[in-house]
Order: sequence, then structure tokens, then C-alpha cells
Amino acid sequence: MLKDLLEGKPLRHPIHPMLVHFPIGLFILSFILDLVGLAPSPRPFLVSAAFYAMLLGVITALLAAVPGFVDYTDIRRDHPGKTTATGHMVLNLLAVALYAINLWLRILALNNSKVGLTPLILSFVGIGLLSASGYLGGRLVYDEGIAVGRHKRRTPAPQETIELPRTKSGFVPVPQAEQLRDQETFRAEIDGCVLTIVRIGKALFAFQEFCTHRFGPLSEGAFDGFNVQCPWHNSCFDVRTGKVTNGPAKVDLKTFKMEMRDGKVGVLMTRNHDQKT
Amino acid sequence: MKWLLDILKGTWLGHPLHPILAHIPMAMWPGALIFDLLSQREIGGNAMVRLSFYAIAFGLVTALVAVPTGLVDWSGIKKEKPAWKIGLYHMLLNLVVAILFAVNLYLRWPTFREATEVDPIPLLLSAIGTLIVIGSSYLGGRMVYEYGISVARMSKKKWRQLAAAGGANLPPE
Repeated sequence: MLKDLLEGKPLRHPIHPMLVHFPIGLFILSFILDLVGLAPSPRPFLVSAAFYAMLLGVITALLAAVPGFVDYTDIRRDHPGKTTATGHMVLNLLAVALYAINLWLRILALNNSKVGLTPLILSFVGIGLLSASGYLGGRLVYDEGIAVGRHKRRTPAPQETIELPRTKSGFVPVPQAEQLRDQETFRAEIDGCVLTIVRIGKALFAFQEFCTHRFGPLSEGAFDGFNVQCPWHNSCFDVRTGKVTNGPAKVDLKTFKMEMRDGKVGVLMTRNHDQKT
Repeated sequence: MKWLLDILKGTWLGHPLHPILAHIPMAMWPGALIFDLLSQREIGGNAMVRLSFYAIAFGLVTALVAVPTGLVDWSGIKKEKPAWKIGLYHMLLNLVVAILFAVNLYLRWPTFREATEVDPIPLLLSAIGTLIVIGSSYLGGRMVYEYGISVARMSKKKWRQLAAAGGANLPPE
């Protein structure tokens, strides 16, 4: 599937962060060459060199935009990183537009011995935008864990968190869980408590969403038998009991009971849920 | 000493420093190969030869700056983890590639101011170096995307609050 390719699943590494090295590095190089060219003695070769570096930067930026957009659409709608990702994208689009104008201005003046003031200012602004957007992109990976461990998962990750109302009895119907296919997950929030519901074979299991190591999203985890593996640092838990089956996590997950009541499937939210041992 | 470690880890920035710095050599060296190939096709003349030279030099300087930041990140990984070994290979490959590009730069030094075409040996070195830097960067990326190195290192407080608000089981602080 094209989406899997653009997400880098065959490489087990996302494509967008691989390609962004080029525009970031080349735009900075282009700007440094501009600055060196400001020295009094004329160095016309720097004008050309800065132009070629920028040209390759724009080409690679456009290439990087494609998998970047695919990665963006794959982020859960209510993910706290979604706004960061939107900012990252808007800044990048702005930066590429500025660099396109910049290139065009430079083509017209390629034979000059010095770079013009407008292209120089545009480059300066471009570096500012790029630094900010690159920083946000890094935060998406290192803070929000976007694309971390994504390739390990075989089924699509949930696109949103469904908020369900708390009930007096503690039994919360989750009709959507019946539509889940094998190893598919459902991310629900009930009274502030976020949980993952997964179908394994014919059975449904519910457990806390956040890994007990560094709180990775288990609804985006990979399933193998009754094991869920956290996408971030590969901690494994048994979905039936919540028990840690592989570190780095040391604390078991909180699990919730799935039940049928009056023909409806639901999750039992108890205040002091005891873990089965 | 702790302040120095914090600088190198990027704690002050809220973002690990090594992957930021690594962008530069990772872009400069394959970029230099492209500029070399263009110059061989008689595109750009001496400006292209110089551009390639500057790219390699900029890559080398930044690679040196990136070394301590990478070492600090690596030292935080436990030796029995698979990521430790990958980090070791990543480092060794980076060492090889940096030496290759240093030699490459040295070979270009006598001619880059006049030449309109890059010589075959520096070109070959750029090609080999590009392959190695792609390989070593891939390993670096695997450390992040497969093993989560540096992931949620600085944001774990924020995530803990979210998990705690919902009454999830938590690791001891």
C-alpha cells in the first residue's frame, strides 16, 4: 500500500524525518555562503554556490512534504501533538514559499558579484521559520512520540478518542467495540480515564491506555497473541491480566472487565478495581 | 558537570541536541556527492566545485560538534539493551565516514579554487562516504523509532499527569 510505503513501514523507519535533513542542512549552508559573501572582496562564485544549495534545498523540501503530509494525517485527531504538527506544517509551507520566491529573485541576478539585500533577508527569515518548524518537528518525535514504533503495528491505529459517559452502575456500554476486527483497538475516555479496548480473536479486553514506563499510547501498540507491546520502548503486557511480560516497564497495567449486559457489550468501570493475579 | 551534561543532552532546549546537529553532516555529505556529480556534467563550473568543498567542510565541523552530544546520549543507554549495540555501530560508522570526508577535503584543497570539475578519487570518496553516512544515520534513526531512545525523556512529566488524572497505574517517580 502506498500509505505504508510513504510512512516507511518496509524500512521500519519513517521517511519524512529522513528527508528533512536535506532542506534544513542546505538552506543553512546557503545562508552561511551568503554571509561569507558579504565580506568586502567580491566572490561571485559564492552567489552561484548559495543558489545551487538553495535549489537542492527546495527540491528536497518538496520531496519531504509528501511523506510529511501522510504522517500528519495519521496523527489521531485529538492527539495533544496534532496542533504542534499543524504549526510545523504551516511554518514549512511558508518557508518553502519564501524560498521559492528567493530562488526566483536569485535566478534573475546570478551574474552579480554579491547577493542582493532582498534575497538575503528572505534567507534570514527562512532560517528563522525553518529552525522553529524543525524544532516543532523534533518535539513531535521526542515529546509526543509521533511515528515512534508505528511500523510495528499491523492494524490501523485509532483515529480519535471516543468519550463515553460514566454510568451509576459502572457498566459503560461500548457498542463500537463490536465492530473491531482482530487486533484492532478502540481508544475510549470515561470520566477522565483513558483506556484501550482491543479484540483478540473473539474476545475483547480493556486496559489503561498509558504504558507504565513512560506512558506510551498502548492503543497504538502492536499485538502478538495476548501481548500488547508499547510502541515507544517495547514494554510488553498481557492484556488479560495487565501483567508486565517484558520490560522496561515494571508496574502492571490496570485492566477493566468487558461484559455483556442486555445484549450490549460494555466495560465495567469500578472504583477500586483489583488486579487478578 | 551536571550543567555540562544538561547542555549536551539538550535539556535546556527541551529537545535532544544530537539529532539536531546530525542533520548537517547528513545533508552536507550526500549533498556534496550530488554537487560533485553535477560538476562532472559541467554544471555550475568552479562554483559547484567550491560548493561541494564548503559542504564537506561544514559537515565535518558540525560532525565534530555532534560527537559529545551523541556520546552523552549513548552513555544513558543500558549496555544490555539492543539500542546500545546499535549506538556503538552508529558511532563507529560515523567515525569512519568523518575520516573519509576529512581525507576527501584534504585531497580537494590544492585544486578547489580553480577546478571546474571534481577529480575521480574525491568523487569516489564522496560516494562511499554518502553510503556510509546513510547507513549510520539509518541506525541512528532506528534507535529513536524502534527503541524509543530520547522519546518522552523530557515530556514524561506531562504524560504522567495525563495518566494520573485518569487513575492509571503509574511507575514510581
